[in-house]
Amino acid sequence: MSRKLTTLFFAMVVLAGAMGLKTAVTAHGLGSVLLANGPAPVPRPWLNGPAPVPRPW
Amino acid sequence: MPGSVDYAIWFLGTLLEALVVVCALHRKIFTRYFFLNLYMLLDVLVSLGRFRVLLHDGWSSTTYRYFYFYSDALLTITLFFSVISLYVFVFEELKVEKYLRLGAVLLLAGTSWFSYAVVNQSSQRMFTHFAFELSQNLYFVGLVLTFVLWGAILKLRETRALLVQLVLSLGIYFSTFAASYSLSNLRPNAFAHMVYLVPAMGCLLPLSWAYAFWRVPDGARLAPSRLAVIPR
Repeated sequence: MSRKLTTLFFAMVVLAGAMGLKTAVTAHGLGSVLLANGPAPVPRPWLNGPAPVPRPW
Repeated sequence: MPGSVDYAIWFLGTLLEALVVVCALHRKIFTRYFFLNLYMLLDVLVSLGRFRVLLHDGWSSTTYRYFYFYSDALLTITLFFSVISLYVFVFEELKVEKYLRLGAVLLLAGTSWFSYAVVNQSSQRMFTHFAFELSQNLYFVGLVLTFVLWGAILKLRETRALLVQLVLSLGIYFSTFAASYSLSNLRPNAFAHMVYLVPAMGCLLPLSWAYAFWRVPDGARLAPSRLAVIPR
């Protein structure tokens, strides 16, 4: 296998592993922000207004 | 609304991030570890921008939310390239820099495509949600890449102390985020104090890097814990 194909294979394995890990970690998520850069206070993602959020169906 | 503890952690973190850049400049290794320093420098500028937006528009405003997540996506992309630059250092003797660059581009393109595919299925505000999704997905790619890099460091018996410290602190940083999120989702009430853990970790990474740049010489080597037995 050429080095370029090995690189492609490695990239795909890392991507699949990372997305699998994310699915496992966020399986019971509450919709909060998982990871954020820096020490600034993290806002709630894309919930406009102070109204309580309904549960989805 | 953030309280005084949040502001104190934020101020301390920004100060430590600036300290990393100052230490690198003082030791004249700013350009050698360019992406790590760029990440810290951008983090300081973004923190200042976030603080200004927070003062003007408030924590729950849409402006702060948009500014926060767009700047977060930018920072995560820079962090991703910082991890790749550490790969270049570890594998520099194998002369595979070209393939590492190719791999980085493929990974970034793959993650972007995956994020687009997810957002396309479930959202009407494509671009804003895409920035958020890409940022979160790239974090996990960074986490996996850091662990693979740590495996490579052990396998190649890497002894450069500065490099080992930089990679280890990054690994702890990523792992703590993922672990704290999992724990707080499993038992939301039992881990209420975890709300301070995320910004506190944002302080520990620059502290560790600043210490490494300040105290560990660039050419320092770790004493190997055991020697390889070579059969005669």
